[in-house]
Amino acid sequence: MREDSLNQPEFTFGQKLLNLHWFLVFLICMTAAIGVAMLYSAANGSFQPWASRHMVRFGVGLVVMITIALIDVRIWLRYAYVFYGLSLVLLILVEIMGYVGMGAQRWLDLGYFNLQPSELMKIALVLALARYFHGLSLEDVERPTRLIMPLLMVFTPAGLVLRQPDLGTALMLILASGGIFFVAGVRIWQFALVIVSGLIAAPVGWQFLHEYQKARIMTFLNPEADPLGAGYHIIQSKIALGSGGMTGKGYMQGTQGHLNFLPEMQTDFIFTMLAEEFGLVGGLGLLAMYGLLLVYGVAIATRSYSQFGRLVAMGVTVTFFLYVFINIAMVMGLIPVVGVPLPLISYGGTAMMTLLIGFGLLIGVWVHRDVVIGRRGGDEV
Amino acid sequence: MTMTAHRTVARRRQIEGVRKQALDTGRSRLLLTGVILAVAFAGVAGRLVDLTVLGNTYEPRMAKAATVPGAVSGRANILDRNGIILATSLPTVSLSADPAMVLDADEAAAKLALVFGGLGRDDALLKLRGPGRFVWLARNLTPGQHQEVIRLGIPGLSFHRDERRVYPHGALASHVLGLTDVDGRGIAGIENRFDQVLRTAGAPVRLSLDLRVQSVLREELMTAMKEYKAIGATGLVMSVETGEVTAMVSLPDFNPNKPGRMTDVAAFNRAATGVYEMGSTFKLFTVAMALDSGTVSLKGGYDASEPIRIGRFSIRDYHAKNRWLSVPEIILHSSNIGAAKMAIDVGTEMQQRYLGRFGLLKPAGLELPEVGAPLTPNVWRPVNTMTISFGHGISVSPVQLAAGIGSLVNGGIYRSPTLLKQQRAKGPGRRVISAATSEKVRRLMRLVVSKGTGRKANVRGYLVGGKTGTAEKSSRRGYSKSAKISSFIGTFPMNAPKYVVLALLDEPVGNKRTFNYATGGWVAAPTVGRIIQRMAPMVGIAPDLEATYETPMIRALEKKTRKANLVRPKQPKKRMQTRAQNRNQKRTWANSVSKAVGRYQVRQTDMEERIVLNARHALTRAVAAKNAQKPLVSTALTALE
Repeated sequence: MREDSLNQPEFTFGQKLLNLHWFLVFLICMTAAIGVAMLYSAANGSFQPWASRHMVRFGVGLVVMITIALIDVRIWLRYAYVFYGLSLVLLILVEIMGYVGMGAQRWLDLGYFNLQPSELMKIALVLALARYFHGLSLEDVERPTRLIMPLLMVFTPAGLVLRQPDLGTALMLILASGGIFFVAGVRIWQFALVIVSGLIAAPVGWQFLHEYQKARIMTFLNPEADPLGAGYHIIQSKIALGSGGMTGKGYMQGTQGHLNFLPEMQTDFIFTMLAEEFGLVGGLGLLAMYGLLLVYGVAIATRSYSQFGRLVAMGVTVTFFLYVFINIAMVMGLIPVVGVPLPLISYGGTAMMTLLIGFGLLIGVWVHRDVVIGRRGGDEV
Repeated sequence: MTMTAHRTVARRRQIEGVRKQALDTGRSRLLLTGVILAVAFAGVAGRLVDLTVLGNTYEPRMAKAATVPGAVSGRANILDRNGIILATSLPTVSLSADPAMVLDADEAAAKLALVFGGLGRDDALLKLRGPGRFVWLARNLTPGQHQEVIRLGIPGLSFHRDERRVYPHGALASHVLGLTDVDGRGIAGIENRFDQVLRTAGAPVRLSLDLRVQSVLREELMTAMKEYKAIGATGLVMSVETGEVTAMVSLPDFNPNKPGRMTDVAAFNRAATGVYEMGSTFKLFTVAMALDSGTVSLKGGYDASEPIRIGRFSIRDYHAKNRWLSVPEIILHSSNIGAAKMAIDVGTEMQQRYLGRFGLLKPAGLELPEVGAPLTPNVWRPVNTMTISFGHGISVSPVQLAAGIGSLVNGGIYRSPTLLKQQRAKGPGRRVISAATSEKVRRLMRLVVSKGTGRKANVRGYLVGGKTGTAEKSSRRGYSKSAKISSFIGTFPMNAPKYVVLALLDEPVGNKRTFNYATGGWVAAPTVGRIIQRMAPMVGIAPDLEATYETPMIRALEKKTRKANLVRPKQPKKRMQTRAQNRNQKRTWANSVSKAVGRYQVRQTDMEERIVLNARHALTRAVAAKNAQKPLVSTALTALE
């Protein structure tokens, strides 16, 4: 057993720092810079109230990200279930408090800032699932009984988030988990089984929802029923995109955004503004940057020696992809409106923190790509 | 040891193999996931290209809806001859809804129904639940309604700049003006006929109407219609020199500001669209063509002692004298027999030619889309010639009649009737009879008013002339005895006629004051008299008490053969009477007529008459002096409710 660990590269702090995926860090910084520029434009050429705070948050997040990247992935493996359990407790707490408040409450007011446990759960679930599948051999993975536990791990928080109701986040949790299941080697027919049983279970679960919760989910599924909310946004968004053309109207020249046809454009609809002001070129440019981030994510996952690292990297990458895809598809009217921000560009602290923690883990996997981790978290094979 | 080692190696290989397999599976799955993500990304990028560059926003309906109902704007005014606004356009707002954007159709409908009396709740609900993305809820809101709808704050509603056609004088000239539809397109009357001009030219359309005369005409016709319980009435005032229609009324009429309340009967323009058998007024045409073609002179006459029988028809006289009648007497007593015989002498072909010249066989050339075509016999037999001579068997519109009579009295020139103001007479006109014949017809018409059936149309100082007409209304079963078309066509002043005034009542009923008569002389003639009396000062014609107009001698010819009649012009002048004799004879005649009619004329004292006439003189002068006429009363704002 020892001979394996002999090959284990143990880095010093300095080596780790040198080994950070600096190009990835650069890409992330560039994307955030675009975010600052867009928020500056959204405020009609002012750093207040969004751009400056966005910068500060990103600065803090960057430090957090690098710190996480430097922490040994084995530590994450060890505490994966702890994080998961903590996040679950917080989710339940939100559910209870939200229930008391007779409304949908997604966050916990911690006085200084609001904590959104569903965002934490996105990371915690990736870690927990990665750890679970890391501990299984391929034959075990193919055994259906072994899937009961991870499925519970996915659907418990997903169900809680759905009750908030936040179908978007619930779907993200389920889809990102699906990605991890897939990469972990779960058979295709088992996926089919889960999907079918999920469809069968949905109407049963529906019965347990409150009327107002049902109404909200219906609104989500059929945005035409809420034309002045989501529907209004989509119409204005499409007009803005159409008016952008090839090269756009120019920075800070977008009428839809600046004339407030698009309310709250600093959050979920900021891509619209970007596309209006920079046109197709700007939109595709941003997509290319995101695409590059994704390619690196997949590459890091492929490069990782440990199953845990690979699954974490892939989980983070798929989560990131879902952010980008859902947001852009939503503003272009491909899918119904869900409150999913555009990574690193939309104004909003929690999502940025989630993403930067995720990227931290991703870079951490890169740094520790050659670390061999045993089934039970040790050095054993 | 070796075995163990070997086994360990083998086991490790096996483990390596499993591990390798797992890794391979993991790698391929990873790459597959990567491919899936890439495809999804490509899809998003493709959609971005679609939206930004190809401009396919999938919102075509919105764009279309915004342009489809575009209302006409900037429609020009319609003015009367003195510049008074008859029709104008006011900017308003209209209310539409996008049903897909209205959150609670029930609530919205209930609220809107409270603001708009006319818009029922169910109606609104139906519109708000419709499948489209655009419905008009209400057009032309009042400022109050506009404000209220804004205050309701219903999402999905939008206001549009609109225009409302306003007719400040309401129903006063409704049939001439016509009306526009809700989008401001002319659908009747002048609005329709000059739709393009009103929409594009920008300059107002100036009509020949004189709103003051129009007002008088309508008021008098309303009074007569009410008094004689007629189902309808029409009348017009036309300038004989230019053919300009100064006033034209058809009753019942409608308020073009509220087209929704218009009935079919009210929409019908009796003056231009309606064609009627005019009755005795046609005898003027008959005598004019007879005099003009020389088949008879004023001194000639015809035997009216017996009714004419043709097959199962017989032509009788209403006031049968059962004797020979001179030409003036034929007009004076309105003898059907005399007119028929006169027409036979003229001949069918000649009659057709003359009627054509008088504009009676073709639709009037009036600038209205609703001009009625006359009804003429398919085959023109002698019996048609005879009935047409006294206005039966041919139906013409009041406009045609007025234009035709105008050509008889103005010196013999036919002027096509027009509703547009003319600076001067349009062209030389078309001569239809000689000036001399015109003169004779004028004298005969004056005779009818001064001594005959039209005496009630007389207005002192204006030398009114005219002719009564009473026609039995034809139905499928033949002619009705009770349902009549009673009319009077008058012109004044007879020495130099300026205007033709026609009043026609549909199915009037006689009353005590008319001794239950409902003939033209009893119900229509006084109306024309009053109209002339009131309008003359307005159009600048002062009364002239000194003016006289010789009426032709009325002579009861004794037993003259028709042959003798033809050589009548040769008769020596020795039979000319002295003025005294003439006056004497007139008085005798007046007495006899009075007796015949059974009416005791109450004459105004000379004093009263003089006061009235002086007042009318003053009024005429005042009107002439103040010819920059101000609008009567502008009711534009009240018309907006």
